[in-house]
Amino acid sequence: MNDETYSDEKLNLYIDDQLDTDEKDELRHSILDDAALRERVCQLKAVRELVGYAYENVPDSDYTNGPDDSLRSRYLWKGIAASLMLAIGMLTGWVVNDTARSMELASAEDVFQYYKNTEQVDSAERKIILHVTTGDISAVNGALDEAEQLLASYREAGTPMKLDIVTYKEGINMLRVGVSPYVGRIEEIVENNKNVSLYACMRSIDKIEKKEGKPVLMMEKAVTDKTAQELISERLQKGWIYIKV
Amino acid sequence: MKTIKNLFAATRLRQEFADRRNKLYRVAYSWCHNVSLADDLVQETMLKALKNADSLRNQATLDTWMYRILLNNWHDYLRVQGRNVELYDVSDDKQQEHTDNYQQSQIVGRVRSSIERLPMSLREVITLADFAGFSYAEIAEIVDIPIGTVMSRLYRARQNLKEQLLDLADDGKLPVRLMRVK
Repeated sequence: MNDETYSDEKLNLYIDDQLDTDEKDELRHSILDDAALRERVCQLKAVRELVGYAYENVPDSDYTNGPDDSLRSRYLWKGIAASLMLAIGMLTGWVVNDTARSMELASAEDVFQYYKNTEQVDSAERKIILHVTTGDISAVNGALDEAEQLLASYREAGTPMKLDIVTYKEGINMLRVGVSPYVGRIEEIVENNKNVSLYACMRSIDKIEKKEGKPVLMMEKAVTDKTAQELISERLQKGWIYIKV
Repeated sequence: MKTIKNLFAATRLRQEFADRRNKLYRVAYSWCHNVSLADDLVQETMLKALKNADSLRNQATLDTWMYRILLNNWHDYLRVQGRNVELYDVSDDKQQEHTDNYQQSQIVGRVRSSIERLPMSLREVITLADFAGFSYAEIAEIVDIPIGTVMSRLYRARQNLKEQLLDLADDGKLPVRLMRVK
């Protein structure tokens, strides 16, 4: 399908999640098949992200001035800087290139099929980030299904892969001992697949600890020393494929 | 008993207003790019919200209700100043932004300047959508325009910003070379 089939108005509806499920699915598949369309979506999404970040950190009002604000500001900047860099990369096409990376546009199966169809499943190692941002039980269950499906598909195809599961916001609950119903299943996945790593966003942990007033206990295998933005930005710049759950 | 209940409800509502203050301030700032003015607009919004709390029938619409008050205050200000919507000269914070913490981000400065060049009607819609995170339906409610108009304004705003930012990138005014992949 030609990318001109879709107007920018329609693409705006897509990135703003205003389409119904069927239209969204159709467009998502077209995006995977069409590099030009992918780039247009990526640019619109980048503009949206840039506007979103532009006012995250504004000059203090008289009301908000206080000793903690400068600390908050510095802390906030660290996360925002990485996200801004990513958005600018998306805008200028440097992060899009000819793959599905940098886009929250596809399921694991879509990505795998994309590579399979375009005969890109070769002996080169595939590196994939599964970004889990929700605490919703069924979504987390779906994320684990996708992870296992990816691992099985690549194993079957004889293609080496590396899978990093990066959790953010409520998504970190997936890796919390005493909270997540999936700890056993995740441990089993990591045990059976040495190419899988788990990460929990440092800032999300901090926020939840403040909110709950007690330490957050994460799975032993979860790495917790960076923010999700830093982890994702680092990987995207190295050409990893990004899938958002 | 009823009095105590009302007292609790009023206290809770005041807290709800206070919880929204920072976000309201940042949205106000995104429209006027002026610290004092943004502060005044939010102060006025909080006062009106408290005064008219009785008119809020559905708590679920608290956000859209408050942002609508904020937007009305902003439009009132523009009317009083006798300025049209193509407002460029309100902001007075550029010097401050470029000499304090904000100096560390050329990108943010460029994006804000680009947003500032948008006609006000587009600026309001794009910041409500992309910064405040409202849906099209909520923006239609806040700005009091049809959803189709929200869509077309958002389309024009994003196209305009995309072109401005790509021009800046082409001119080397955005630090994109730092993060080229591969």
